[in-house]
Amino acid sequence: MNEYKILFTGTMGAGKTTAIGSVSETPPIVTDVVNNDSSHSKARTTVGLDFGQFTLESGDRVRLFGTPGQSRFDFLWKILSKNALGMIILTDNSRPDPLADLRVYLDGFADDLDIMPCAIGIGRLGDHPSPTMDDYIEELARHDRVLPVLEVDVRKRDDVIMLIDTLLAQLEAGMFGE
Amino acid sequence: MSVKPSLAPAAQVLASREAQSMLSEVDGLTAVVVATVDGFDVASAMKAGDAARVAAMASSISAISSVVAQEASLGRNKCVTIDTESGFAVVYSVHRSDAELVINVIANGNAILGQVAYRTAQFARTLADA
Repeated sequence: MNEYKILFTGTMGAGKTTAIGSVSETPPIVTDVVNNDSSHSKARTTVGLDFGQFTLESGDRVRLFGTPGQSRFDFLWKILSKNALGMIILTDNSRPDPLADLRVYLDGFADDLDIMPCAIGIGRLGDHPSPTMDDYIEELARHDRVLPVLEVDVRKRDDVIMLIDTLLAQLEAGMFGE
Repeated sequence: MSVKPSLAPAAQVLASREAQSMLSEVDGLTAVVVATVDGFDVASAMKAGDAARVAAMASSISAISSVVAQEASLGRNKCVTIDTESGFAVVYSVHRSDAELVINVIANGNAILGQVAYRTAQFARTLADA
């Protein structure tokens, strides 16, 4: 049996805590607190980490870790990304500049992205069609990255599993040497 | 980004005053930062360091200690001490009705842990009741 560690990161409010809660088989560990940042309407926000667990059909176990979104917590990004097999970056297309949001994580996790697979999940794309999926792909290309970009609703278990499967497929295809 | 902590103005004044007096009265302290639980500094007195960064770290430590306390059914979290080769840091939770706060005190090797722990607990009590 293998154990995988997968990291969820991305914009505050994009749904990292929700995504982990959607698929975790054990009650997720959540460190959210009252949000005082009035530029976000969210009532609560993660300031430590999220943790959940999930078993694949093969019997392999996946441990899911979520980071805080805000870059003032970047010291935790480094701690949490250690030994991860892959990373999922979530964005929120209803935000003023989702591509600028994406850049924060492409830069903040640049070293990790060189050595591990990554998938991008775009939330709220249906109601907010711009930027388009092509815009995301072009933004990634400007950072010399070729990464799968998927439209997701992280409240749906199947969508989160699709993101995880996309990561594991990259590993199985041997795109990242172990 | 704009921050609107719900903390009462009188409590904020008290936090600033007490942070400053702790820093000047207790030997070996290098920083006293009062922060919201989501990591924004609301009052600070510093000899060195960056209050915003200390505030973010204090809120993470406090949130993680809170979840450990919950999982182990140990009641509400109060305090975490990080003892190091050349000093220590104390993170103390302040449970108020209008705002949950965290006091973070950083001390070098000249400080006495018992004295700092006592003063920090006293500060937390005063701030909780203010």
